[in-house]
Amino acid sequence: MASKEATVYIVDCGSTMGERSNGRQQTNHDWAMEYIWDKLTSTVANGRKTALAGVVGLRTDGTENLMDGEEDYAHITVLQELGQLLMPQLRKLREELVVSSTEAGDAISALVIAIQMIVATCKKLQYQRRIVLLTDARSAMQADDLGNITAKLKEDNIDLVVLGVDFDDADYGYKEESKDATKAENEAALNQLCEDCNGVFGTLAQAVDELGIPRVKPVKPVPSYRSMLTLGNPEEYETALAIDIERYPKTMRASAQSASKFVIRSDMAAGEATQSTQTMGNGEEAEGAAPNGTNDGLAAVKTARTYLVNDEDAPGGKKDVDRDELSKGYEYGRTAVHISESDQNVTLYETKPGFDIIGFVDKNQYERYLDMSRSNLIVTQRGNEKASMALSSLIHALYELESYAVARFVRKEMTEPRIVVLAPNIEPDFECLYDLELPFAEDVRGYRFPPLDRVVTVSGKILKVHRNLPNEELLDAMSELVDSMDLSTLGEEGGEYAVPDETYSPMLHRIAQVIKHRAIHPNEAPPAPYEILTRFSRPPDNLIAKTQRELDRVIKAADVKKVPPKARARRYGRGKEAPKPLSDLDVGALLALDPKRGGGKLKRKIDPQNAIPEFKQLVQRAEDLPDLQDACGQLGAVIEDWVRFSVGDSGYGRAVEGLRVMREEMGEMEEAGAYNDVVKGLREKVLGGALGGERALFWYKVRVGRLGLLLGSECEGGAGEEEGREFLRAK
Amino acid sequence: MTSLPYRDKPSDSNHGRGDEDDEEEEEVDATSYKHDKDAVLFAIDVSESMLTKPAETDEKKPDASLSPTVAALKCAYALMQQRIISNPNDMMGILLFGTEKSRFQDGDAETGRGGLQYPHCYLLTDLDVPAAADVKQLRTLVEDEEEAANLLVASKEEVSMANMLFCANQIFTTKAPNFSSRRLFLVTDNDYPHTSSRDARNSAAVRAKDLYDLGVTIELFPISHPDRGYTFDRSKFYNDIVYSATPSDPDAPAPLAADIKPASSTARDGISLLQSLLSSVASRSAPRRALISNLPFEIGPGLKISVKCFILLKRQEPKRTTYVYLPPDSDKAQIAVGSSTLVADDTARSVEKTEVRTAYKFGGETISFTEEEIAKIKNFGDPVLRVIGFKPLSMLPVWANLQPATYCYPSEDEFVGSTRVFSALHQKLLKDQKMGLAWFIARKNARPTLAAIIPGAESRNEEGEQEVPPGLWIKPLPFADDIRQAPETNLVPAPDTLTDAMRVIVQQLQLPKAIYDPRKYPNPSLQWFYRILQALALEEDLPEKAEDKTLPRWKQIHKRAGPYVVEWGSVLDEQYLVWQRDNDKQIKPQVNGAAKRTKAEPASAGAKAKKVKKEDDEDGVTDAEMRDAYTKDALIQFKVVDLKGWLQGKGQKTMGKKKDLMDAVIAFFETKMDVT
Repeated sequence: MASKEATVYIVDCGSTMGERSNGRQQTNHDWAMEYIWDKLTSTVANGRKTALAGVVGLRTDGTENLMDGEEDYAHITVLQELGQLLMPQLRKLREELVVSSTEAGDAISALVIAIQMIVATCKKLQYQRRIVLLTDARSAMQADDLGNITAKLKEDNIDLVVLGVDFDDADYGYKEESKDATKAENEAALNQLCEDCNGVFGTLAQAVDELGIPRVKPVKPVPSYRSMLTLGNPEEYETALAIDIERYPKTMRASAQSASKFVIRSDMAAGEATQSTQTMGNGEEAEGAAPNGTNDGLAAVKTARTYLVNDEDAPGGKKDVDRDELSKGYEYGRTAVHISESDQNVTLYETKPGFDIIGFVDKNQYERYLDMSRSNLIVTQRGNEKASMALSSLIHALYELESYAVARFVRKEMTEPRIVVLAPNIEPDFECLYDLELPFAEDVRGYRFPPLDRVVTVSGKILKVHRNLPNEELLDAMSELVDSMDLSTLGEEGGEYAVPDETYSPMLHRIAQVIKHRAIHPNEAPPAPYEILTRFSRPPDNLIAKTQRELDRVIKAADVKKVPPKARARRYGRGKEAPKPLSDLDVGALLALDPKRGGGKLKRKIDPQNAIPEFKQLVQRAEDLPDLQDACGQLGAVIEDWVRFSVGDSGYGRAVEGLRVMREEMGEMEEAGAYNDVVKGLREKVLGGALGGERALFWYKVRVGRLGLLLGSECEGGAGEEEGREFLRAK
Repeated sequence: MTSLPYRDKPSDSNHGRGDEDDEEEEEVDATSYKHDKDAVLFAIDVSESMLTKPAETDEKKPDASLSPTVAALKCAYALMQQRIISNPNDMMGILLFGTEKSRFQDGDAETGRGGLQYPHCYLLTDLDVPAAADVKQLRTLVEDEEEAANLLVASKEEVSMANMLFCANQIFTTKAPNFSSRRLFLVTDNDYPHTSSRDARNSAAVRAKDLYDLGVTIELFPISHPDRGYTFDRSKFYNDIVYSATPSDPDAPAPLAADIKPASSTARDGISLLQSLLSSVASRSAPRRALISNLPFEIGPGLKISVKCFILLKRQEPKRTTYVYLPPDSDKAQIAVGSSTLVADDTARSVEKTEVRTAYKFGGETISFTEEEIAKIKNFGDPVLRVIGFKPLSMLPVWANLQPATYCYPSEDEFVGSTRVFSALHQKLLKDQKMGLAWFIARKNARPTLAAIIPGAESRNEEGEQEVPPGLWIKPLPFADDIRQAPETNLVPAPDTLTDAMRVIVQQLQLPKAIYDPRKYPNPSLQWFYRILQALALEEDLPEKAEDKTLPRWKQIHKRAGPYVVEWGSVLDEQYLVWQRDNDKQIKPQVNGAAKRTKAEPASAGAKAKKVKKEDDEDGVTDAEMRDAYTKDALIQFKVVDLKGWLQGKGQKTMGKKKDLMDAVIAFFETKMDVT
């Protein structure tokens, strides 16, 4: 729970803000607004009702504030009272926060107005109060009354931030040459004010620069478990050890804002809807806000689920059933197992909450890839000093012995037990155990892979020299490269480079960035991502330069070659190279002798029952294109029969597989035409109803299987992309 | 029953999704049209020899007295039970050959064709996703001797191997036409069928080639009979039937799974035939599939190789419930197949995918982008694993984890030479205990992460079988956004004497070899769930109690560490007294020290103030104060924070408004405190 906050932004709109100073492309106002919009949209984005913002225009053409009767308060307009900001307010502000035609307006008076706004709204309640003043300080200020203001700011605990266009800032390293005298004087006064009330005084350039640095949303730590950490069983043995602990999350994925799905509302023409979402400048809301809450011509999209069960009497053998007619159960193979409401718990394994140490393991033998989950940290119950001392002894013992504990953890009653590893962490004023889940037997997949440092051959020999193994030169070069690409002293002040604290989730902040941008600039293309989001997408530049020699050496020793895309193209008359069984028996020769299969060079008929193997064998022995065309034609005819005599979809699987094999084989032979001719004929018959009536589902399967024409991009002589797409359409 | 661990398929098409973060948004695998499923057909030899029980049997080992055929059936039974749960979409079938009886698929039984077409082949279970009835039928056969005696009769004439193989061909062709993995598990002890007919053997070789061309792999499970002096010799016949997956280059690396050694029909070596069949089958039961194939792995600018990524670690969860339909006229439940359509919220009309646009909620309205804009916004470049540098492994914080790591292994498909470069890197990282830091985009438009590349050493068990493969592990690291701040604590450090006492305890309770071996800890909840589900489906009795290997061995802990824990306890009492005494003197600095740390957070200022006032209590309000207020009906004086803190300390619910909290305090005193 974040605390309530109230911030008033005072934005200088004076005519001097319309200038382009110091060689910048933007006007000073546009530049300043980059900062203001970022702050305001951030407030909108977090969507909290307790984050209040107000906006005061300084040096506006008009005057509208509580003291507007007094001359000192002229040209100050309260554009937005303190409150939660939403899109309509942003739109309004966008209209109003423009450069005026006046130079008059006193920043100190605006400050007074802002203080009043905060006092009126926040009274004595718990608020984080802040005023941000953004100005070029080029109009006269009545700076003689600052003592009162300082006192008031302090009394009400209001933070003051003053940002100036081209203010001098020694820390940031900026000094404006030939500054005008009024500005210099005002700057000095404002600087003094900030010092007196512990405020922040800075130059706008720095503030805008830092906009790219993402803000991490702090989350208040909430314990996920509080009870005992035990060693031994306190219920059975007096020798058991129990410490009161609390467990908090240490890492937790912060995910990017998720998009919702919408469609244009049916009562709106497409053009209108786009208009109203994109032009927010007109300040009007779309007429007749939709009942479902969006007023931008979009309707939310929902998912509707329907359920089918087998019913022999129903047309098509299936019938729709209502969700209410269904009950819960599980699948056991093809069999449905119904579990009545009252039996729901029978599948749950009974457990009691607890955190029990099973034993201890050696830290140095612990494989880091076993970590299964996000991490948590364990500290003692708040305020329990004895427990703190007890846990501290465990943490120190583990640390000194270079050990980790392994424990069984049940978060609450009837939840699954997990096994976790507990690692000690000692900081000067803070100690804890980190815990991470470990895998169970079922979670480990026993895939096997050949060794990487030796090759065991088919014949059983163990080789140390092989094309798959690095030679001495490559090993040595790689070793040097890895050492030279060391990041451990490349960070700021010789520290580690890219520690987690300095890296920000690119997707999360990128999406936040473009949403905020579009809210203010509906008609502009999204901006480029901030540099910090892609900084770690490649090695640091100075490292690349430094390690080029080592890298070149590895590249030379490695001799890696890209596989040309068509290396596998096959040739005709490949029968001799056909795969052989372990014994190297020439099955091809046996096939040739088989009287049923025609033998020799005689054209033979594909047996529909054994169509795919015999088709492949024909292709393997094919001498020329007509042979292939013949084979494809024959298989094509078989496929047609499969579709024609299919009861429902019973033959579709076979037909699709037949097409797939034919397409694959012809692709490898680089004979697109042979396949395309067959599939074109098939399409005509399928869609023309010539294969036993309505076969739309079959064509659907062809389409999702991507078994359309062989394309030019896949093999020589293939069809064009557009033709291919068109071909797959059902009509 | 000897059990193979239950495990879900790598990634199940329908179940278990959604828990994988928001990753799967896009990307359809290029081979998606081919069913990514596995079909296994057992072909079990039923000859006189296969039906003979071992001569010497051990009363204590009933499994060891099984005839090879029955052992094979039991093995199939075990596999069926396992797969029905772990691979719910995979198919399985059982074909007996050499039987007196013949039977083919149901449809053909009517025409009488099947029996004639494939004599002495008996299709016991047709290839399909098994149903409870199939499991029951198989169970009857392996448990009921009479039933077995009736069916398991060897034919007088020799079965034609060619015919049997073609029978299998037809089963695969019709029942699993487009499965990506189709395997024939052939169990026999006859290494030389058709001894006198070369033609018959050649026909079999031709039919085997057909199966190969169809895409079916034959996996041979040969059986030897040491008690009869018989050793299975593949070279006589089966090497003409079985194809190797690797090219004929003698220097080529051997296939990943070693050849299955002939199982012995006798139990002399302590392992029964059933067990050795089970372990052979287990080693073949999981068809491997890459999570990401040919991911570019860029070690430095201009040095690119390709790797494949696999999921070797994944949390297996119990199956989700599905909706079932109980027809009014029968008690046989049916699975209801759900399908979803997109509908517009305003009119409930159904919506085409192309109409849908994405928008983000913002300031009470929506901010929308076109498809192209979204694609461009989310695009951080092509999929890649790009090293940006290296660090010592010790710089990887223990807590820096969010999800299981992904295993990767080199692939020569895109870049020739990938393996040797990968190997060189792997050896270097292992030797110097270093890790790579990499920019990782797993799939097109996937969220980019920074990942540690950790070397993993190969490990083998005593029998020389690989337990952990060598390779690199990609471990996505948390960003600053993913790191939570720690709670405030008031540390009381342990004095050395107390740490020393604890050290002895830790030393007493090392796990075997001081490592955690996941294989020893099956997931008790998962095992229980599946046992119950199976019992319900097969209408068996529900089991009473589950076996739970995750429970600590309390008795051992008591025996080995008990006295030391007692010792530690007394040191703690002693030292705590000392600390309290010392602390009394320094109470102010101690509290101030804590206050200093909290200063950065004005939110906790209230708690801080209280701490100074009531030095003995961290949680703000003591029991006595609370009771006092309760009796005076003055609970209202406390702040919400204080009430919550106090209630939390008592393990009570702390939800709701102030009034709810006050009610909770009152309820607590009315029910609990009176007892004391």
